Amino acid sequence: MLVIVVENIPPRLRGRLAIWLLEVRAGVYVGDTSRRVREMIWEQVERGVEEGNAVMAWSTNTESGFDFMTLGKNRRIPKEMDGIKLVSFLPENGVVGDEAVIG
Amino acid sequence: MTEPVLPPLKPILMKDRMSVLFIEKGNLDVLDGAFVVVDKTGVRTHIPVGGVACLMLEPGTRVSHAAVTLASRVGCLLVWVGDGGVRLYASGQPGGARADRLLYQAKLALDDDARLKVVRKMYAMRFHEEPPERRSVAQLRGIEGVRVRKMYELLAKQYKVEWKSRNYDHTEWGSGDVPNRCLSSANACLYGICEAAILAAGYAPAVGFIHTGKPQSFVYDVADIFKFDTVVPVAFQIAARNPGNPEREIRLACRDAFRQSRMLQRIIPTIDQVLAAGGLAMPKPPDEAVAPAIPNKEGIGDVGHRG
Repeated sequence: MLVIVVENIPPRLRGRLAIWLLEVRAGVYVGDTSRRVREMIWEQVERGVEEGNAVMAWSTNTESGFDFMTLGKNRRIPKEMDGIKLVSFLPENGVVGDEAVIG
Repeated sequence: MTEPVLPPLKPILMKDRMSVLFIEKGNLDVLDGAFVVVDKTGVRTHIPVGGVACLMLEPGTRVSHAAVTLASRVGCLLVWVGDGGVRLYASGQPGGARADRLLYQAKLALDDDARLKVVRKMYAMRFHEEPPERRSVAQLRGIEGVRVRKMYELLAKQYKVEWKSRNYDHTEWGSGDVPNRCLSSANACLYGICEAAILAAGYAPAVGFIHTGKPQSFVYDVADIFKFDTVVPVAFQIAARNPGNPEREIRLACRDAFRQSRMLQRIIPTIDQVLAAGGLAMPKPPDEAVAPAIPNKEGIGDVGHRG
């Protein structure tokens, strides 16, 4: 299973993603692809994302059962905690305060 | 001209795809670079054309130039079919992209000894046992005919379908009884993906070994290997229920059968295996051959896809 969520990307990239994936909601693409095809699709996102941002999540053989990667500016950023990938949510002004202690 | 922003489209492997999709009506076009079907009320449906082996276009569809171009870029075979899948015409992926494969296939077909070996391998895979020794292609074809008729009768009995014989008028849909119509419909699905696979592997659909003289002779040869394991039981199963819309039921059931038998993973390796039984080596380019001035770009698709 593969999910890509995009925000503020040019229409040509949105169209391009629909070549392999299904756009189930605005900017939300799902599909089931091999690793090679997934990497190929992500390369297209990297090339066409411009000012927008994107995240791709896919099922894989990790502790959490999936993995994800991001591209572009977003308040949610991936954060690794003891080998588990989590997500930190930045405050609105973008300034990171005292770092929360988790775990 | 500025450099295009997105990388060029390339086909993906046949085995990573869905088998078939039928489009009944609407205009096929390209919007924002995506393949869409627009119906008369303006509703548009995206088709993930890059992930489909072949698209069956029924009467009531129109295709724009841009849509055909896009389909060929991503290696999706467009097949124009009549009502219920009676085959009319095919295009979208021109084929013949690999001279070495075409020459290899032709060499096997022209060499009597190699052709017999290929035919024997086809029968062995199909009936899951070696055919009798020292028989000609014609004799094997006769043995096959008897066996196939028996298999039809057996399956008909198993699914409790009244069966006379395989009998249909290819020019007129609706002639023929329900089991025969179901079989024709199911075969159309199978032929579509077989042709897509043959083209993707770089071979010619017209150069057959058991079948000859038709534009799709090799398609029939390859389809026959899979036929009785996939679409024939499906056709009889549906025919036994005698549903209101057999074509739709057939398509759904065929797609399931293809997925369960991992057909798209197996089909290209099977083609290679059958041809390898001929015992001839893939031809090497002659010594005086000059490599292309512009090297071919590497893709992640099958060898027969035009990159």
